[in-house]
Amino acid sequence: MTQTQTNLLQGTLDLLILKAVGDAEMHGLGISRRIEQITEGTFQVKPGSLFPALHRMEEAGWLTSFWGESENNRRAKYYRRTKAGERQVHVETKQWNTIAGAMASALKA
Amino acid sequence: MKSISRMIAAVRNLLHTGKVESDLDAELRAYVDAVTAERIAAGMTPEMARRTSLADFGGTEPVKQAVRDSRAGTGIATIWQDVRFALRILRKSPGFTAVVVLTLALGIGANTAIFTLVNSVLLQAIPVSHPEELVVLRWSAHKEPESTGMSGFGDCTMRRSAGDESGCSMPYPVFRALAQRRDLFANITAFAGTADLNLAGNGQASIASGELVSGTYFDALGVPAALGRTLGIADEQTGADAVAVLDYGYWQRMFGGAPGVLGRSVRLNNVAFTIVGVADRKFTRLTPGKSVDIYVSVSQAKALGLRWGATEDPQSWWVAVVARLKTGIKRTEAEAAANLAFRNATMHAPKPAWKDADDPRLMLVPAQDGLSGFRRALGEPLRLLMAAVGIVLLIACANVAGLLLARSTSRERELAVRFALGASRRRVMQQMLTESILLSLAGAALGTFLAYAGSSALAAFASANGERPLHLNVVPDLRVLLFTTGVALITGIGFGLAPAIRGSRTRSAAEMSRGATESAPVTPSAGRRRPGFGSTLVVLQVALSIVMLTGAGLLLRTLAKLRSVDAGFDTRNVLLVWINPELAGYDKTHVQALYENLQQRLSSLPGITSVSYSSGPMLDGGLWTSDVKVEGQTSKQSVDTQMLRVGPRYFETMRLPLLRGHSLALADIRSGTPSAVVNEAFVRKFLEGRDPIGLHFGPDDKDSPKWTIVGVAKDSKYASLEDENAPTAYVPLETGGATFALRTAIAPAAFIPAVRKAVQDVDDNVPVMKLRTQSESIDRLLFNQRLMARLLGGFSALGLGLACIGLYGLLSYEVARRTREIGVRTALGAQRSDVLSMFLRRGLAVVALGSVAGVGVAAGVTRLLGSLLYGVQALDPLTFLAAAALFALVGLAACLLPASRAMRVDPAEALRCE
Repeated sequence: MTQTQTNLLQGTLDLLILKAVGDAEMHGLGISRRIEQITEGTFQVKPGSLFPALHRMEEAGWLTSFWGESENNRRAKYYRRTKAGERQVHVETKQWNTIAGAMASALKA
Repeated sequence: MKSISRMIAAVRNLLHTGKVESDLDAELRAYVDAVTAERIAAGMTPEMARRTSLADFGGTEPVKQAVRDSRAGTGIATIWQDVRFALRILRKSPGFTAVVVLTLALGIGANTAIFTLVNSVLLQAIPVSHPEELVVLRWSAHKEPESTGMSGFGDCTMRRSAGDESGCSMPYPVFRALAQRRDLFANITAFAGTADLNLAGNGQASIASGELVSGTYFDALGVPAALGRTLGIADEQTGADAVAVLDYGYWQRMFGGAPGVLGRSVRLNNVAFTIVGVADRKFTRLTPGKSVDIYVSVSQAKALGLRWGATEDPQSWWVAVVARLKTGIKRTEAEAAANLAFRNATMHAPKPAWKDADDPRLMLVPAQDGLSGFRRALGEPLRLLMAAVGIVLLIACANVAGLLLARSTSRERELAVRFALGASRRRVMQQMLTESILLSLAGAALGTFLAYAGSSALAAFASANGERPLHLNVVPDLRVLLFTTGVALITGIGFGLAPAIRGSRTRSAAEMSRGATESAPVTPSAGRRRPGFGSTLVVLQVALSIVMLTGAGLLLRTLAKLRSVDAGFDTRNVLLVWINPELAGYDKTHVQALYENLQQRLSSLPGITSVSYSSGPMLDGGLWTSDVKVEGQTSKQSVDTQMLRVGPRYFETMRLPLLRGHSLALADIRSGTPSAVVNEAFVRKFLEGRDPIGLHFGPDDKDSPKWTIVGVAKDSKYASLEDENAPTAYVPLETGGATFALRTAIAPAAFIPAVRKAVQDVDDNVPVMKLRTQSESIDRLLFNQRLMARLLGGFSALGLGLACIGLYGLLSYEVARRTREIGVRTALGAQRSDVLSMFLRRGLAVVALGSVAGVGVAAGVTRLLGSLLYGVQALDPLTFLAAAALFALVGLAACLLPASRAMRVDPAEALRCE
């Protein structure tokens, strides 16, 4: 485990998870690996943050879950994005872009 | 949308806890399995892969807890879980739980009960509309007004202070003059009473307490009728019909609350009255402690045969007056104007009540303070009781705090384990909080119950033993209940949370593992600090209970002293029977015959050795004094002497020895020969060594009789046991009501039915107003002391018990904490007696410290008991010593139990078990 791991900004985890799940169906480990992949290893999400977030988002109605078979033929809980989840991606992306743009121009100034 | 979704989730989480939990388990297991599989695929050995992936996961429990915390509805679920867990924990130590709950309950119950009584006696507002507007008219002057009679019904205190006399009775014409001032008073009304009225026409004749009120009474107070109508101005006019209004409680008690009571005719003192209404239910009293059964107009006083109730006599001072000021007028302005009107009415009458030099003044006093009633008599003891229960609450809280602290130590390891397993600080605190709140609430619930039971028991004791019946409103006061429960909660929470706060501060894994291997139940620093605080709490309890014990001891000694006072006559086996034939229409000549008849009739009852009668009983609270001039006395002044009208054989019946001369014979009384017997104090004070027999004395006016002294009786107590023997004259009873005294051979209470029947046989129109033994009368006189001794005794026993539990708890905890040390000491050769004395010394040191502090505080506060004490000093060394000794003795017993447990510690066992 790298010690230079970047801390996740509050609120970015939800967006990352929603983005990582995309239109696919994924289980916990899959989501965690996917985030690592799409952020080029910058973010490693630990189970202690991942699972509470997944459950919270499911209860908020952004994700839905079902039990399925994993690659190695084991029972695993899969998550899928809902319509509300997609809307949430748009909302949060917009927010993030605003913040990122503002930060970028602030740092350039 | 999101919130609805969360709500549905919350319901699901709460309803299907098991399913949700097992799903989470499976999900996390699948995650670990998947990581393990990856690592095996990457070439790790299966064991290695499993171990590293579990380690990376960081423990399933914290993750699960994090998920649970993020879930909807967790709050409710955790509270429920905490409550169940707390109940389980509390059930596991029933002794601890019972003691804490009971301690809190007693503290809360005692405080609420006493305050309820205090509230109903001292604080409760007069139950009329806008009681704060009412003022009572009170006069003061350098001397009492010239009058033909001055009555006080206890509505306000007649005071004699610094050469000034004050009171609130006034003649009815003066009230009328003041009532003319509509520019000052919006309402004004007069009242007097209560008078014992013989009520016939509702079953057997009985005595009702009648209040005489002016026509404006109910309007001025704003009291409506619960049924029918109240009294009005028209009822006060001369020639108006004789009508009466019933008190609501009396109507319920005596007429069963029947609405048919309206229009019914009853006979009051042999005069027919029509009941026209029932007063409002809320209107229980105007003056605290005064219970009225029936209201009639002041103009009926004459018809009722109440000689003092003269509405036209400007010299008979008998009504009390309350008023409401007109809006917009200041009290000072109204007072100045009313003062002028009052002086005008009293000083410019044909017979002035005062001279200018007497400087009479009229004041308008808020009725809440001015109508003191029996507030003064009970006020001081009740305030002292408040202080006492306050101390009980303090002891109770200190006790609970000590118990919680001691217990928290034994739970330190449990907490360490929970922190190590990943419990968050907040979570553990919440759990401890739940436990404390449960304990406090259980205490409060039981305390409420005790408050109900206690306040009605107190009210019952007060009304059964007080001077007159009280109808107190004793519903426990909600505010006090909330206050005491709040105090209990704060104590519980404060000391219940302490271990969680401390525990979370020292939550490193190192501490935890050290705790496990060294197995010291407390960290050294905590070990040093806590027993110190625990001891302080116990010292506090000991000190406070010594203060209480001292107070109770002083009152008990007072009571014992009072009971051993020589009354001068034989107070045992005397039955007192109150009758008033005048209320049944007897006139002077017939009264004499009736009394002789009754005396004969009662004497013939088997078991009764002697019967006589007097105008009132001795040692029952009543007193009649009169100014007399004694023949041959050098000073021109008349002197104040106690008087009692008596019938034949009085001295013989009371066993009051005659020292010289002879008693009052029937012949003396019948012939109206004005002969009298005086007591030793009379001779000593007024006659200065002259031979009393044959001397004359009497009131200083021409019309009154001049009595001739025919005998001298031994000194005896009259009004109270505390008073010095005062000059007393016994003169013949010619007319008026009387109290028969029956000397019985065995316990007097057994004769009550026979006596009732005998009186009824002689004339069933003459009601027996009261029946009481002389001992009961004396008990009533000692009511304040008895109430205080009983309650303070009870409370100090409670305090003693609580302090001993605290002491026991402290030492038990010490013994448990030092079991290993004891084991080591014994193994190294310490004798069992050494161990025993080690702990006894520790316990007794706490007791000694507490006793010294307690005696010190007691010495400062016992003088507050001053007015209740008799024959014993507030700093009575014997009582102080006894209180400390009693505590030392009981405290020793409380120390012996845990100390002997320490002595029995088996060294091998002690060293092994840890």
